[in-house]
Amino acid sequence: MDPVIPSWRRQFPYGLEADEVVARREFLRYALLSSGALFIGSVVLAVLAPLQRRSAEPKAVARVNELRAGEARYFHYPGPQDEAVLINTRERGLVAYSQKCTHLSCSVVYQAERDRLFCPCHDGVFSPLTGDPVAGPPQRRLPRIVLEQRGDDIYAVDLTP
Amino acid sequence: MTGPARSRTGLGRDPEREIATPPGLQALLLAALAIGILMLSLQLWLLTVSLDLFLAGRGGEVWSLAFVSGLIFIGGLVALRLLSRGPQSRA
Repeated sequence: MDPVIPSWRRQFPYGLEADEVVARREFLRYALLSSGALFIGSVVLAVLAPLQRRSAEPKAVARVNELRAGEARYFHYPGPQDEAVLINTRERGLVAYSQKCTHLSCSVVYQAERDRLFCPCHDGVFSPLTGDPVAGPPQRRLPRIVLEQRGDDIYAVDLTP
Repeated sequence: MTGPARSRTGLGRDPEREIATPPGLQALLLAALAIGILMLSLQLWLLTVSLDLFLAGRGGEVWSLAFVSGLIFIGGLVALRLLSRGPQSRA
């Protein structure tokens, strides 16, 4: 008389020898699931990218000749929560950047005595001329604010990454 | 005192009921695993590059990376489908 085979055994007819084969197949399925998740992550970033760019109203940030060479002024642009800095550099005149450090979003400050933009959180340093990172952990340059002169006023008109 | 030998599943070994790995399948699965891990690493790297581009405001370039990532995913899907057909249907 044949022994009675339990139903679970019929549904899972693998012994120890075949156990590893099943484990690898399962692993491949999970790997495929992870692959799908990574693909979806890339697609989400691609979809969100166009929404990232915010348009903002032009905003007067200073008057012409108000800042002397080497001086800076802090303001908010494009939104009331977005900190920015306007610097009158000796070499290039007025430039403006977002104050948000591209490393971990701390606020960078302009240090006139060393002519640099400095992030106190992790000692990141940016060039005030270009906004490029020159020391510390940041890898990307500071977002630049486009300035425009209208009459006697300097306006912030756009934010470029 | 030792009892009867038991497997990890709590069952004694029953060679008649166990499925023997067909010749060549081991190597095929191992190759699939190695390539799969490599492709996953590549996808992870693509995602980090995408995130870097996204944060740098160059999101328009992310689509090409997402496309490559999608190709890898579809390749994995096809490979797993071929593997899951089993040795019987391939014979």
